[in-house]
Amino acid sequence: MSVIPIRTRQTAAVLGAAALLLAACSGDDDDTDTSDTTESNDGTEEITLTVDVFGEQGFGYDALYEQYMQENPHVTIEERGSGLGVGDYNDRLTQWITAGEGAGDVVALEEGIITQFYAQLDKFVDLNEYGAADLEGNYLPWKWEQGTYEGFALGLGTDVGSLAMCYRRDLFDEAGLPTERDEVSALWPTWDDYTAAGEDFAAAGTDASFLDAASNVYNSILMQEAGNNSGYTYYNTSNELDLDNPDIRTAWDLTVGMIEADLSAGFESFSDEWNAGFASATFATIACPAWMTGVISGAAGDDAAGEWDIADAPGDGGNWGGSFLAVPAESEHPEEAAELAKYLTSPEAHIEAFEQLGNLPSSPQALEDEGVLAATNEYFNDAPIGEIFAAGAADLSPVHLGPQNNAIRTEYENALRAIDQGERTPDEAWEEARNNASGIGGG
Amino acid sequence: MSLQLKEESGSRRATDRSRRRRRSRLTRLDLKFSPYAYVAPFFILFAIFGLYPFLYTVWISLTDESPINPETNFVGVDNFTRLFGDDRFWDAVVNTLGMFVLATLPQLLLALVLANWLNRRLRGIGAFRMAIAMPIVTSTAVVALVFGMFFARDYGLVNGVLDIFGVDAVDWRANRWRSWVAISSMVDWRWTGYNALIYLAAMQAISRDIYEAAEIDGASRGRQFWRITIPLLTPTIIFTVIISTIGGLQLFTEPLMFTSGSGALGGGSTGQFQTITMYLVQTMRTFNQWGYAGAISLVLFLMIVLISAINFLLVRRLGSDR
Amino acid sequence: MTVTMPARPAESGRQRRFKGGREPSGAVRRASPLTIGGLIVAAGLSIMPLYWMLVVASRTSNSAYQWPPAFLPGGNLGANIERVLDNPDAAIVRGIVNSFIVSGTITVSTVFFGALAGFAFAKMRFRGKNALLLAVLVTMMVPIQLSIVPLYQMMGELGWLNDIRAVIAPFLISGFGIFLMRQYSIQAIPDELIEAARIDGCSTWGTFRHVAMPALRPAAGVLGLLTFMQQWNEFFWPFIVLADPANPTVQISLRTLNSAYHQDLSQIFAGMVIATVPLLIIFVFFFRQIISGIMEGATKG
Repeated sequence: MSVIPIRTRQTAAVLGAAALLLAACSGDDDDTDTSDTTESNDGTEEITLTVDVFGEQGFGYDALYEQYMQENPHVTIEERGSGLGVGDYNDRLTQWITAGEGAGDVVALEEGIITQFYAQLDKFVDLNEYGAADLEGNYLPWKWEQGTYEGFALGLGTDVGSLAMCYRRDLFDEAGLPTERDEVSALWPTWDDYTAAGEDFAAAGTDASFLDAASNVYNSILMQEAGNNSGYTYYNTSNELDLDNPDIRTAWDLTVGMIEADLSAGFESFSDEWNAGFASATFATIACPAWMTGVISGAAGDDAAGEWDIADAPGDGGNWGGSFLAVPAESEHPEEAAELAKYLTSPEAHIEAFEQLGNLPSSPQALEDEGVLAATNEYFNDAPIGEIFAAGAADLSPVHLGPQNNAIRTEYENALRAIDQGERTPDEAWEEARNNASGIGGG
Repeated sequence: MSLQLKEESGSRRATDRSRRRRRSRLTRLDLKFSPYAYVAPFFILFAIFGLYPFLYTVWISLTDESPINPETNFVGVDNFTRLFGDDRFWDAVVNTLGMFVLATLPQLLLALVLANWLNRRLRGIGAFRMAIAMPIVTSTAVVALVFGMFFARDYGLVNGVLDIFGVDAVDWRANRWRSWVAISSMVDWRWTGYNALIYLAAMQAISRDIYEAAEIDGASRGRQFWRITIPLLTPTIIFTVIISTIGGLQLFTEPLMFTSGSGALGGGSTGQFQTITMYLVQTMRTFNQWGYAGAISLVLFLMIVLISAINFLLVRRLGSDR
Repeated sequence: MTVTMPARPAESGRQRRFKGGREPSGAVRRASPLTIGGLIVAAGLSIMPLYWMLVVASRTSNSAYQWPPAFLPGGNLGANIERVLDNPDAAIVRGIVNSFIVSGTITVSTVFFGALAGFAFAKMRFRGKNALLLAVLVTMMVPIQLSIVPLYQMMGELGWLNDIRAVIAPFLISGFGIFLMRQYSIQAIPDELIEAARIDGCSTWGTFRHVAMPALRPAAGVLGLLTFMQQWNEFFWPFIVLADPANPTVQISLRTLNSAYHQDLSQIFAGMVIATVPLLIIFVFFFRQIISGIMEGATKG
């Protein structure tokens, strides 16, 4: 009768194993919550604070955690997210905040996403309630402004992303271009000059492309232009979509010029292949906000130490990226979390993060710190990163980013990549990006 | 469980009736109500996790709900109007159907051939069956990662092999057709063996007498395959088509993991391999447009129902023909 | 919708199968050398990606990018596995434990409730039976994608986001399981046996326990194996609700690994080996049952 000849013994074994798992499940349920278990110990409450960060190597806080835990023995700090890309991180964070569950006690908010949370202030702790207002002087004025909304202190500034241009000395040498950073900086006072230098590089016939990905140049130019002109990117300061902002077109046209001169390696930034491209020297330059130096050293690896160097960015100033620390309202220990956020964004902490990963401080005190100003980066051929990045940081002008900034930015990045891949003409790509962007921003 | 409760309360009420009568009444109650108790868990669970969310989706698709909007407004059929004019959605539909066809046709044809081969007398045929079925143990995530490496632009195995034949490196992710081919190959690899086994089962069920009769009539083997095996396999083939349709219209993991950048849900620079499900998740998670996401999921559902209904009618027609 | 599938293999044909791989001689054609060649190629292509996974997982990361590629496994498998197990961000150990809990729980529940309802549909008489059975079949067509937004909100309200309960609850009972068990019950449980049990004074529950369950055991094993494999490999729903990288299922661990450690391919591939091995073991040990399950499910479903 038995059509399926399975032996009873085996079935029993499978079911038995499964039953064990079931038992394991019920025993496990209680401790699946991420953290925040409170235990009484000599009267003081033992707490665990979870910090959510992102990026190739996190935020460089390990030593700071150690010190904080030493000074506050009742606190244990756990960090999550080191190695996680900002896109993935933002998706997750949005989910957590919206659901009011899952986020850590202290969360990093990248500048592209903090504006989105202005509409969800009830999901966060007003850090002014924990004395943040007294610390306003610890942050660059525009950074402080970005982190607050109508008097509500949502996030305290961590780093800013002053622009520079990173380049590979060995490839420049091979192409017959100068290799010393001053001479390299002199090659490109403007983005047009940068394109011209790229054409020289391409003419030399090395195997490598001049730049990594159209999107990185585009974002850098846009942030620079916006900082110098309109003061915003895709949304105006009333958070209305303004895709006719001439700064977008300027950045677009310059970037398309570079693509048409065949300067781009055509990567999608932060993809596997882009990362592998660092290790195999597939491109010679990359637009370099301060935080990018950490990305490069992580992706290019020790083998490429000393090959990369840092020159000035073409054009005038500019800031791209940088983050804030905030405390979600769901935290069970808002007071302790706020204290930790304040600690991690103190001038001293800014200096420590700068020393660890090159994340440029947003604290004026830290930017004036002798150690910071004199800092060099061994990996980048001892480039004076203090001088290159910190010098201009104080003069940066803020750029307003709207609620769906990152999603819209991705549309423009994709459109540029499609041109790069030969799948779209520039006009088609522009139209497509605009349409998609209005779909996202309008709904 | 509920049965035992009934038994207890029943016994209390029936203290002075005869044991026999009580038993028979209990048995009647048991026979009448237990079946409902046995099938109820399914329907309760379905009501919670299937029906209620479905109704809620209908409601949400008529609103502009978004986690980043403080208030939610009723917008009528606006989301659907937008959907019908949304190029990106229709691109996703084309991609989904295109990859579905590319993945299903070669897969089922190959599976037929394989089944025919496997249906032979050969020492160690069991080992071949095992090898050919092995891909089904691999998760779609693993398949996508392995094949993603095969199809890498700069270090991929596929481009390496093409290079030997003098073909320049191909950027498999850049172009619509090429990305479809790469992604379909993942689906093909994972499911061909599975379908071959299904066909094999059906082939083995065909009575040998038919073949013997054909042999006596002088039909060649090829002719036997096309004239006897394939027609008798038609219902099974349609079954596999239905299963592939339901799976194919929900294609998600393979194209998602085909890129690794932050915009993976977008399915390439021009959305050239973004499927409907990816667009749905992107709308929900990246664009935070929950109302619109609700509308997309309803339309996806209607498509599945429609295509399944067509298949159902086909099955009925073929069934009544015979 | 699949209830009308007419492809019922003849009983004799079915019994012929799976007797140690021996086919009845005479009835089946002998394989030609061409066929053997084709089978070898097909088997090779089927195994190659899995083998390649092992090769990359057992070498250093750089060797994944070299040409000509390495075709033999290296000696670093242990080290790579150790690295991925120790990786705090991917939480793969937690992922494996979670996947066992999730798949195990769902398997037990699917099999039990599938058998219970399948038995009722096959062997009991009640009003509305056919309508209810049709309803079960219709639900098989409803994909989870249909309701991700409300389901996601629901999990948020239950406090189950980032909690594996969110990926267990919606899948505890499957229409497919009920249907499979119903089909099997029809032929595996003789009506006379049920009649006899009733005369002996068995309640319906007693009949299910003492008559149906033992008879359904083979089908339960097959359904269990298929369910376990399917749940182990599930990606879509965990991807939506399990956003906490510290509490993933194993498939989600792999994605985290991939997005965070792209340059360390051998570590990612070691993770993939770990994620695949449990199913591979199940596959090799229960090959016959799994294959017959696939075949039965298709020809009957």
